[in-house]
This record gives sequence, C-alpha cells and structure tokens, in this order.
Amino acid sequence: MSEILRLDNISQSYSGRNVLDVPGLALAPGQILGLAGPNGSGKSTLLRLIAQLEPPAAGKLQFLGRTVDEADTESRRQVTLLTQEPYLLKRTVFANVAYGLKVRGERDVRPRVREALALVGLDPNVFAPRLWFELSGGETQRVALAARLVLRPRLLLLDEPTASLDSESAALIRDAVLAARDRDATAMVIASHDMPWLNGVSDRILHMDHGRMVDNPQPLGGVS
Amino acid sequence: MDYILHGFLQGFVLLFSGNDETYSAIWATVYASSLSMTASLLIGVPLGFLLGYHEFRGKKVVRTLVDTLLSFPTVVIGLMVYALLTRNGPLGATGLLFTVPGMALGQAILGLPIIVAMTANAVETLDKRLPQTLLTLGADPRQVLWATVTEARFAIILAAMAAYGRIVSEVGISMMVGGNIKWHTRTITTAIALETGKGEFALGIALGMVLLAVALTVNIVASGLKRRARQ
Repeated sequence: MSEILRLDNISQSYSGRNVLDVPGLALAPGQILGLAGPNGSGKSTLLRLIAQLEPPAAGKLQFLGRTVDEADTESRRQVTLLTQEPYLLKRTVFANVAYGLKVRGERDVRPRVREALALVGLDPNVFAPRLWFELSGGETQRVALAARLVLRPRLLLLDEPTASLDSESAALIRDAVLAARDRDATAMVIASHDMPWLNGVSDRILHMDHGRMVDNPQPLGGVS
Repeated sequence: MDYILHGFLQGFVLLFSGNDETYSAIWATVYASSLSMTASLLIGVPLGFLLGYHEFRGKKVVRTLVDTLLSFPTVVIGLMVYALLTRNGPLGATGLLFTVPGMALGQAILGLPIIVAMTANAVETLDKRLPQTLLTLGADPRQVLWATVTEARFAIILAAMAAYGRIVSEVGISMMVGGNIKWHTRTITTAIALETGKGEFALGIALGMVLLAVALTVNIVASGLKRRARQ
C-alpha cells in the first residue's frame, strides 16, 4: 500500500512556545486515524499543518511522496479540512458545495453536488436551493462536509465533526465519512472528543497531550 | 397652506405632463450622479478593500483621515474643485468648470470616503473563518481575494447606496462647480433652491417629490440589504 502522508519530526511553536512535537507519523490511502486528547493538546494545530494552512516551525511534511511547499496550491487541493465550526459562504447550499469544484475549473458540477448532498443525508431537491441562513446547525455541518466530500480528496481532515450535534446528525456524518472512504479510498485524520463516535469510524486512535503523542507515534499499518 | 397644496398639485402636473424643465433637471442629476458613482466605486472599493484587508504601518492614521472626510462639507469640496477647474487653476485647461463631468468630479470626491470607509469596515468585519475556509476548499490567492469581495457584497452595495444618497441630495458642489445653468447643469437640488428663492413652489415640490422617491427607494433596498448582511 502506498503512503499518502508522512510527517518527520514536525514541530510547531507560537510566540516562542512549543505547541506541537510529532516525531513521526504516516498514513496510507483509505486509513482513518482518530486523534483524541483534551483541549489544547495540539490536535487542531496538527490538522492545520497537514492541511497546509500554516508551515511547521521545523520538520518535514510529505504528501504523496513529495515534500510540501507552502505555496503549492495543487498539493493543497488534494487535502481538505472541515473545521469545528464550519463557515458557509453567503450563497445557496448548491453554490457552497460547488465552490471547490469551480475553483478547480470543473464543469457540469450539478450531478456531483447532488451526489455529495445525498451522501450526507440531505435531499438535493430540498436543500440545494436553500440559502446559508436557512439551515440548522446539523444541516450546516453536513453541507460543509458535502462541500469537502464532493472534491473526492486524497486526504480528508475533520476537526470535531460531531461537536454540538445530536446523535442522529452524528450518525449521518459517520455514515458519510465511511461511504467516502469505501468509495474513494480517502484517507482521513479525525480529531474528536466524542470517543464512542471516534471508535466507530477510526482504524486507530492516537492520544495527544501537551502537543505530544501519548501512544506509539510510529507509522501506521504497513507503512514504514 | 393653500400655496403648499397648490404646489403639490402643480408638482404632479409637471411630473406627469413630461415638463421639459423638470425632466432636464432630473436628467442632469441622473447623469452627474451616475458618473460620480461609477468613479467612486471603481476607485473606492479597491481602496477600501486594501484598507480593510491588509495591516500596514499608519493604518489607523489613514482610517482616521478617511473617517474625517466622511463629514467633508459639500461647499468646501465645491470650493476646492472650483479652484482646480477655474481657468487659472491647475486643471483649468480641461474645460470642466460648469459642466456635468466637472460636477461629477466634485461629487466623486464626496462619495469616495463613504465607499472607502464602509468597504473597509465590511471587509474588516467579515468572519475570520472565511480565508481558511476558502483555502481548505482549494482556492488560490486570487480566488480568495475575489470570494472575499463577494462575501462583502451586501455591505458594499449598502456603501454605494449611502454614497448615492449623499451625492444625489447635495447642493454645494452642483451650485459652485456646475453653476446651476438651465438646460445644462441645473440639477434637482439646485433647481429646488433657485425656484424656492423665486417663490415658484410647484417646480420645487415636483423635484422634491422625485428626491423623496429616490430616498425612499434607497432606504427600502438598504434595510433589506442590512437584514441580509446580518444573517
């Protein structure tokens, strides 16, 4: 199995304070890695680094075998991050889900948008024309997830995807995540406090505390 | 009281009979304000975006200056533009004094700080999650910039309407730079001032009703946009 992500001695610091120190981590296509740990343990920072939203203070981040350049839009387009409180553009649900496809210059996005909405359990006929403020919290979360899944990313990063959601919405998100993994072999890193939910979707869970991995931080499943 | 009622009735007659003098003033107002709004928006939106989006040394000073210019008296702008455009002035050779484009130049100076300040404010108050969201969806820097302007669109339209309200109702610039020349640079506001001075209330009231209709339309649209921008 080829390697999709590799981190070597990655660290991050803000204002001289070290907030993250990961000696090594690797991920193969289709693997789902759960990250657990208290607030401030470095989960979100790690996701931001992998999403290439900020460069690490030190260390090497490789994506699909290539060292990631900070300004590498093409590489960044293979990874997408769903943040804890996702922001929807002031447009319709359809336009929100289609946005990522359009910035990639894709045409005929309608069938893919409808498919992505269906995948997260939202009826495209009902939800596609709705405006951003006509959605509940759970629906907003699912539209934001659909906007990521429609891109069929090689790597999907989810930061607290079920925070403040009811159990029904959390189950729908779990189903969508697993369906995307099965369909596209999308690798995922998911940070969550919701341990039962995380156990239900992850191949393996790493615990983090004070910016460090508490468990064995060696590469996963067959990736050396 | 009778003369006011009579003025209103005559005003309606002038408006609905297609009176040339009335519609000449309306046309001069529409023409000048369209030119000035186009210039204000083309210059003001990019400047406002830069001011709101970027951090730089002296930004607070620039913001204070722009905010101060919001209350620039129209007669002072009129005086400055007159001094620039008069035959002996630095722009005298352009021949813009007592022309509609000359009036539009002054009105653009009036509208510009409104557009810049309100656009900057709109961009500054955008949700901090927006740039990160766009990047995670794969937008390149140019696409991030455009989507940011698009997200601020309701507030920018609101800024345009506020500027339009100020421009269409000003007297000082039109009077001083345009010269209130009949059939040429006489606008709604300068015509009202002149006709009222002559005791001719009908034309003044007819034109005043047009201005009120414009103000009402602007306010209805603006309140709808405010609601949308808050959501």
